[in-house]
Amino acid sequence: MGNQEQLFRDIGIVDFVLTDLTLYLDTHPMDRNAMEYFNHYNRIKHQMEKEFSMKYFPLNTSLAESSKEWRWGMAPLPWEGECG
Amino acid sequence: MWSYEKRLEFPVNIKEPNAKLAQVIISQYGGPDGEMGASMRYLSQRYSMPYREVAGLLTDIGTEELAHLEMVAAIVHQLTRNLSMEEIEKSGFAPYYVDHTVGVWPQSAGGFPFSAAQFQVTGDPITDLTEDLAAEQKARTTYDNILRLIKEPDVCEPIKFLRMREVVHFQRFGEALRITQDRLDAKNFYAFNPAFDRCESCD
Amino acid sequence: MQDHSHENNIDKFPVAMAYVPWQRFDNMYDDLEKAYCTGTIFPELNKPFTGRRCV
Repeated sequence: MGNQEQLFRDIGIVDFVLTDLTLYLDTHPMDRNAMEYFNHYNRIKHQMEKEFSMKYFPLNTSLAESSKEWRWGMAPLPWEGECG
Repeated sequence: MWSYEKRLEFPVNIKEPNAKLAQVIISQYGGPDGEMGASMRYLSQRYSMPYREVAGLLTDIGTEELAHLEMVAAIVHQLTRNLSMEEIEKSGFAPYYVDHTVGVWPQSAGGFPFSAAQFQVTGDPITDLTEDLAAEQKARTTYDNILRLIKEPDVCEPIKFLRMREVVHFQRFGEALRITQDRLDAKNFYAFNPAFDRCESCD
Repeated sequence: MQDHSHENNIDKFPVAMAYVPWQRFDNMYDDLEKAYCTGTIFPELNKPFTGRRCV
C-alpha cells in the first residue's frame, strides 16, 4: 500500500471509531471514558484529514481551498473504487 | 443540514463484474428492508421524538444509513461496470438493463420500486422505536441471506461490515427505548402519547 | 415443557414492554484495523453470521 492509500485507510479507520463512539455516547452521555476516547481520536482525525487534503485531494469542502484549479472538483469519487 | 465526505464509510473495491449478484444486492438499496428506507424512516421519525437525546440518535443513525446507501450503490455500480451484452443476457439482467442500462435505481431484488409504504412514522415514540428495532433485524436477516449467496471476498467484506452495523444500531435503539421508558409511568407505559397528549393542568 | 416462570432480574421489569440490556463499555478493540473490518469497536457487540449451526 502506498502512502496515499495508507493514510486514506487510516482516516477511514479513525472516522469509523468516531462513528461507533458517537452512537454509544448518544445513549451514554455521562460516560467520561468514552468521551476521552472520542476527544483523542477526533484530534487525530482532523490532523490526518488536513495532511491528506494538502498532499493529495480535499476530502470535504472545508479543506478545499484552491488557487490554480478547483481541487474539490478534481477529487476522485468514492464509488469508483481502486479497480475502476 | 449535511456535509459530504468524498470517501465511503468502508471501502468497496470489486474486481469482477457480476450482474446476478448486483440484482440481489440492489434490494439493500431500494428494497423493503434496504438502506434508503432505513435512512428515511429515522430521519423522518425524529421530528416527533420528544426526547432530545433520542431524536439526536435518530439523526446520527439516519445519517450513517445514508453512508450505507452509498456503499450499497458502490457495490451495485462496481458489479455492473464493464458488463458485456452477453453477460447481461446470460445473467438475467436484461429486464433491469432495458429500463436503466447500468444506472443504479432504487428497487427491490424482485423489481418493485422503492416506496415510503415500506416504513412508518407513527408519531408515537414507543411505536416508532419498536419499529426501528424490527427494521434493524429485518435488514440483518437480508444481509445474512445475501452472505449465503456470495463467495467473493471483495463483495463479502463490505456486506459483513454493513450487517454488523445493524446489530450495533439494534443495541442503540434498544437503549433509546429504555430512555423513553424512564420518562414514562412504568405502571402503564401506554396511558398517553408523550409526543401528542398534553397534561390537563398545563392547558 | 420448560418452566420459564422462575424469577430473573429481567422478570422484575413491567410486563408488555420490550427491553434491551444496557451496554456497559470498558474497552474497545486495541487493533482498530480489526475493529473496522468487524464493523464495531466493541468486542461485546461482535456477533458475526456463520451460516451454520454448531459453530
